[in-house]
Amino acid sequence: MADVRLTDIRKRFGALEIIKGVDLSIKTGEFVVFVGPSGCGKSTLLRMIAGLEDITSGELTIGGAVMNDVDPSKRGIAMVFQSYALYPHMTVRENMGFALKFAGMERQEIDRRVNDAARILELGPLMDRKPKALSGGQRQRVAIGRAIVRNPDVFLFDEPLSNLDAELRVHMRVEIAKLHKALKSTVIYVTHDQVEAMTLADKIVVLRAGIVEQVGAPLDLYDDPANTFVAGFIGSPRMNFLKARVVAAEAGYVTVALANQPHVKLSLPLRSSTAKAGDEVSLGVRPEHFFPAGQGDADLVLDVDVAEHLGNTSYVYANVSADERIIVEHEEFRGARNRDRLTVGLSTAKSFLFDSSGMRIR
Amino acid sequence: MTTQRFARALPDIFQYVFLGIAAFLSIFPFIWMLIGATNKNNDIIQGRLSIGSSLQDNIASFLTKVDLPLVMWNSIKIAIIGTAITMLVSSLAGYGFEMFRSKWRERIYSAILLTLMVPFAALMIPLFKMMGWGGLINTHTAVILPGIASAFIIFYFRQASKAFPTELRDAAKMDGLKEWQIFFYIYVPVMRSTYAAAFVIVFMLNWNNYLWPLIVLQSNETKTITLVISSLASSYTPNFGEVMIGVILATLPTLFVFFVMQRQFVQGMLGSVK
Repeated sequence: MADVRLTDIRKRFGALEIIKGVDLSIKTGEFVVFVGPSGCGKSTLLRMIAGLEDITSGELTIGGAVMNDVDPSKRGIAMVFQSYALYPHMTVRENMGFALKFAGMERQEIDRRVNDAARILELGPLMDRKPKALSGGQRQRVAIGRAIVRNPDVFLFDEPLSNLDAELRVHMRVEIAKLHKALKSTVIYVTHDQVEAMTLADKIVVLRAGIVEQVGAPLDLYDDPANTFVAGFIGSPRMNFLKARVVAAEAGYVTVALANQPHVKLSLPLRSSTAKAGDEVSLGVRPEHFFPAGQGDADLVLDVDVAEHLGNTSYVYANVSADERIIVEHEEFRGARNRDRLTVGLSTAKSFLFDSSGMRIR
Repeated sequence: MTTQRFARALPDIFQYVFLGIAAFLSIFPFIWMLIGATNKNNDIIQGRLSIGSSLQDNIASFLTKVDLPLVMWNSIKIAIIGTAITMLVSSLAGYGFEMFRSKWRERIYSAILLTLMVPFAALMIPLFKMMGWGGLINTHTAVILPGIASAFIIFYFRQASKAFPTELRDAAKMDGLKEWQIFFYIYVPVMRSTYAAAFVIVFMLNWNNYLWPLIVLQSNETKTITLVISSLASSYTPNFGEVMIGVILATLPTLFVFFVMQRQFVQGMLGSVK
């Protein structure tokens, strides 16, 4: 059993609180990704789980045992670092076997585990090289191998792909996914790259300023974001937020008009019935949820600023008004040219509504 | 055309002339030392710059006056033990100052750096008194002790430690290493070029140390090569041929250490962590 439970976990550096009471439950074998912008505390939280940072208050359990004050090497975890953190004076084989040797494991068992990991990661020909003689991708594989040989209950990954080039990143992402499938270990993975989060995770934890904003499966977060932060963070390009005003509120329904194009009105079902006429709200529409004119529930007129045509799709950066800019994406917008006027359709079913505090009301 | 070419070459010419003069000023004392060792005392005093035939006489004369194995042993013992302890203590301090966060860290570090501003002349008498209280006068321990916590070497190691990747320390903690094990198993091997550079510097400082040994070492049995050369040069009728032999012998170990560690020394001075 390697379930991980965080209960009201907090971290303070002097008067500054970095992690502000995180509650989280991770099941055995689950692949959990912490995402959030720089400085949101995701790496600090991972380091607290690893034992590299003290927990100011709260309780961390791994496999049911409280781990707050347990030495990092005795938590049943292994960590892969952003910069790989391979010992430069040791060969690949020595790097991979170092922790086992240090734990007093027998030579034959160390060799068996190192060779097994080398086979899984196809490191065979590199075993006697030093890290400086390896490429970025090879170093990353060695770093993963070093974690595998310890046979941990929980793998921790701290932005492991961010030092790789785009092509290698995609390759390693697939490798990590395959590895998780093969090892069936619990994985906690930190990244600021939402593509990594969406493709790898069973469960995504979105963090902002030391607070968990939302936890859920990748598509649940995409389809059902709790607030503007999560809605804007998950999805690429990010969701557009159009200023709007409630013009009518009935039981369970609300009609909103766009602030900068008041003729555009949409009627939306409400999650909560707190909205009333006159309230300022934000209409959230993902770039890929705009349609050609006439195909939605209302049409919006845009002044095209820049149009990018990629063949399979087109991105149009356009102005709703002088101070409101949005991105729309659709394969049928390939005719749009810079400084054109473009009419796009909005769909009620594909639109979100957020109140003035950023909480989702539809 | 020729004038233009000359104008273009002028900066290079200046550069080479300047470097040539600097090189000459650096090398001349060594050449003079080597030539002096082959000449008679009178020739040296008169400034003769050609190779003479008195090398063997000077060596023989030097060896009759100086117990060479003893003074070399004294010097090597002090230099090696002093260097090893200085490197250990100062690198531990530099590592500690860089790795451990504390609100007192920078204040203590600044106080240590401030000691660099205190001239040794101001410390001689208190140090001598301390050694006297400890019964260490005329021992090699008294020569070694004051230098082992060298502010400069602590500073050097702290600066070099900034290039030591903190993730290596984290990885080592995950591998189960205690702090002292991280220091010896990871930090020391990773920073070996820094150690090599520090070794050359500290070895030379210890080997060439003159003033402090002159004060605390009082019997002939404990004296180092620098003190012996000084006593040869300051006798009533000094024989500069013997002095030159002594100086050559005193130079050889530092040259040896430098050339053996030259590559690592350069890497260490550049702050390489690979």
